[in-house]
Amino acid sequence: MIRLVFIVLLAAAGLTLTGQGAYIHAKALLAQVLLDRAFTETLKTGRDVKPWPSADTWPVARIDIPRLGAHAIVLAGSTGQALAFGPGHVENTPDAGEPGIAVYSAHRDTHFRFLKDVEIGDEITVTRRDGKAFRYRVTHTSVVRFDESGIDPLSKGRGIILSTCWPLDAITPGPLRYLVHASILE
Amino acid sequence: MNVSVEIETPSRLTTRTRAVSLDRAALHALQCLIAIVAAIAAFFANGQAYANPQADQAPAYVKPSQARAGSLLLRADGDRYVDAPRLGTDIDLTVSGPTLRARITQAFHNPTDKWVEAIYVYPLPHGGAVDTLKMVIGDRIVVGDVKERQQARVLYDQAKQTGQKAALIEQERPNIFTNSVANIGPGETVLVQIEYQEPVLQSGDTFSLRIPLVVGPRYNPAPVVQMVELRPDNTGWGVVTNDPVPDRDRITPPVLDPAQNAPVNPTTISVKLQAGFPLGEIKSHHHQVRIDSDGDNIRIIKLAAGPVPADRDFELTWKPVSTKAPSVGLFREQVAGTDYLLAFVTPPAIEQAEQKPLPREVIFVIDNSGSMGGTSILQAKASLIYALGRLKSGDRFNVIRFDHTMDVLFPDSVPADSERVAQAKAFVDALKASGGTEMIPPMRAALTDPRSNDADSVRQVIFLTDGLIGNEAQLFDTITSMRGRSRVFMIGIGSAPNNFLMTRAAELGRGTYTNIASVEQVEERMRGLFAKLESPVVTGLTATFSDAKADMTPAALPDIYLGEPLVLAAKLDKLAGSLKIEGRIGDRPWIVTLPVANAAEGKGLSKLWARRKIADAEIARTMRQAPPEDTDKSILALGLEHQLVTRLTSLVAIDKTPSRPEGASLTSTELPLNLPAGMEFEKVFGPQRAAPRPDRDASQVRQQYAQAVTGIPAPAMQKRGAPQQVAMAVQSSNVPLPRTATDAELKLLAGALMLMLALGLMAWRRILLALTFLRFLVGRRWALSV
Repeated sequence: MIRLVFIVLLAAAGLTLTGQGAYIHAKALLAQVLLDRAFTETLKTGRDVKPWPSADTWPVARIDIPRLGAHAIVLAGSTGQALAFGPGHVENTPDAGEPGIAVYSAHRDTHFRFLKDVEIGDEITVTRRDGKAFRYRVTHTSVVRFDESGIDPLSKGRGIILSTCWPLDAITPGPLRYLVHASILE
Repeated sequence: MNVSVEIETPSRLTTRTRAVSLDRAALHALQCLIAIVAAIAAFFANGQAYANPQADQAPAYVKPSQARAGSLLLRADGDRYVDAPRLGTDIDLTVSGPTLRARITQAFHNPTDKWVEAIYVYPLPHGGAVDTLKMVIGDRIVVGDVKERQQARVLYDQAKQTGQKAALIEQERPNIFTNSVANIGPGETVLVQIEYQEPVLQSGDTFSLRIPLVVGPRYNPAPVVQMVELRPDNTGWGVVTNDPVPDRDRITPPVLDPAQNAPVNPTTISVKLQAGFPLGEIKSHHHQVRIDSDGDNIRIIKLAAGPVPADRDFELTWKPVSTKAPSVGLFREQVAGTDYLLAFVTPPAIEQAEQKPLPREVIFVIDNSGSMGGTSILQAKASLIYALGRLKSGDRFNVIRFDHTMDVLFPDSVPADSERVAQAKAFVDALKASGGTEMIPPMRAALTDPRSNDADSVRQVIFLTDGLIGNEAQLFDTITSMRGRSRVFMIGIGSAPNNFLMTRAAELGRGTYTNIASVEQVEERMRGLFAKLESPVVTGLTATFSDAKADMTPAALPDIYLGEPLVLAAKLDKLAGSLKIEGRIGDRPWIVTLPVANAAEGKGLSKLWARRKIADAEIARTMRQAPPEDTDKSILALGLEHQLVTRLTSLVAIDKTPSRPEGASLTSTELPLNLPAGMEFEKVFGPQRAAPRPDRDASQVRQQYAQAVTGIPAPAMQKRGAPQQVAMAVQSSNVPLPRTATDAELKLLAGALMLMLALGLMAWRRILLALTFLRFLVGRRWALSV
């Protein structure tokens, strides 16, 4: 009898954990659908649109990688809350298309899962909330510590960096970040 | 879609053991699905309650928003540190027709356990008439008075000594003010509210306002002129140094290196725009804003993403919808029985007369000093290269570049042929920004006119700079004494230029001021400037009132360029008759008559009139048209009568009840400023000592600060002029990257393992049972067969 109770508890714990894991993915996916809608409206009206009433962030850009058919709606800010729903535009970095380096960050297992397939030479398009789109070419990739990124947002030229956790297939968090560097195509 | 795949995970796992208990697994999967859907629904209904758990585990980096609230430590001399008071600013603007009223609230917070005096150097628009100071302590409001500068300083110092809270607003330049707040207690916040009145700017169809948020670091030339005088008592020689910037200490607050510090001085801005006509396009040029309608003619404009660091000008422009902007505006206000009138008249754009426009001689001057480093030099070069491309055959030109040295491209101006223009473009293209800003020699060179009697050409000086110098007066002097037939057109470059210097220099040089704050603006603004340069100028302007006796300002009406309005303020003894404005557009006469009695009601016009009169007096002083004693007397009288802050009058507010206990010491700290956006710190201040590793440095800072606060009075920030070594308690030298791993995979994996184990155990139970049954059966058959 005791063994049966143990088995039931074990199964329940297992289900809860898988449920939570699936919930993170489901939330990430569902949020992107709502964000897509909000961003479309932003492009149309020129105003910032909250994707759902209680949201504390709003979409600011859309990243497309045509070769991979991948895309994601970027949110203002890179707090943990925002990153659960989509890639975040890291604070204190310029907008895409402006002088300097714009940094976008997202989870390696949800919105930036496709970074593992990005190759040097790939084209990335960033559409801003004002409707202007900028094309970038991936120049190189690198791995850095989160607190020693070496990214100077005010450096010369116009570029973007997509950042996610490294190693890409690890399952525990770590200090390393994988950066995809791209510079603007004029 | 992937959603279904992920959610099916539990049931997919169960398929492997379908034979064991299909229905139970399906039931679990269903329950799980319901739980997830419910959880998601709950999440979007209430984002806070379901905040992603991994977001709560504090990561090892700190976001700028947190860093801003972190400890800001200023290194005083030696190894001691002073914790700086924190500042937040709210700017509330109301535009009503031709004027705007600004209310600026500065919240000074003292995070330390000491009593402090906070000193903050900040910019205001140079045309602003500052008339109100309120200090809010808890729920008490102390209203300030305008006093003579020395007297206000004495009152403030007394209050400071006796422990009373006090605030003092002093004008250092028409666009640089200092706010000193004494006796802010440990953990206390004191609000200081300043109000000013300013006319709205108009150019063509576009109306605009421009609020500077930071004072750019000024280059103050060393005292190079030494005047040697014989003392009257015949005891020997006395040496008097003639410092070009006698008040250099007062306009050089510490500046933070953006590579070492998160931005400070968060600012919020909101604008209520009542233009008085239906509004068309509204544009904020350097900040993201959100624009809401409040009725047909009113718009509410707010920053889109909350507070911004004070590191660049806020510029808002608006246009009337589809129709042309009104070309005449007439407003009146009655204050204490006296009528004040404000008139805007835009002369019509008239086609060039048949004869060809006179050929031009254009002298371009470009500032390539260190403060132009970063984005400014790119804007300046792009603007100059555009301008070179607009030269016509028959024009003559020359190019001068300067930092603390200077080069003149050609010995004398040369015809603008393609070869010379190409040579000039290459010269400009190769410029790099570094060094000091000695602006007088290039201005002298540009104004030196070997053909000063040539009436068959027009001489124009186009001067590109950020104007970040402290010796403005010397530059004005140079222009006044040397301008001759030349006209000076100032082009202000960068995110926080010295708009006062630009405007006054253009005024004295009878030209215009064009501002370019980003590379994107270069073409549009330069095109506008060239339209002005190539169109006939409205000259010989006079204004007369038919009936009323008027005290008018500006005293001498300036020449007007295409699309610009003539702005005129007058104090009248009665509102009657008409105002007649006469002048010449090119070679044609132009007259306009305005009925004074029909003027619309306006607000704060008396203050604008007084502010403009004060500017007139300052100009008369610069041009030596009147003895300095006389101009100072009239400035003082205007300041006191109209309750305005001027060079000679300050606003002071003093709380009656002392708050600092006797014996407690008072620390004076000067609040650090951001480096204006786009500038390069090293180019302005020279290479700094290599910064130690942030985290290690921060812990040292904290230790040393802890030692410093125990009883040792913190040192005053006396070494000015050089940037202070500043360290944030929590900081990083580059962009920290957020944590970008969820524990989804981990949870999925662990959950799957547990489920499999549970199912395995259950299967094992079944097998055991089956075996027992089998044994039973086998045993029974055996028994039967026996």
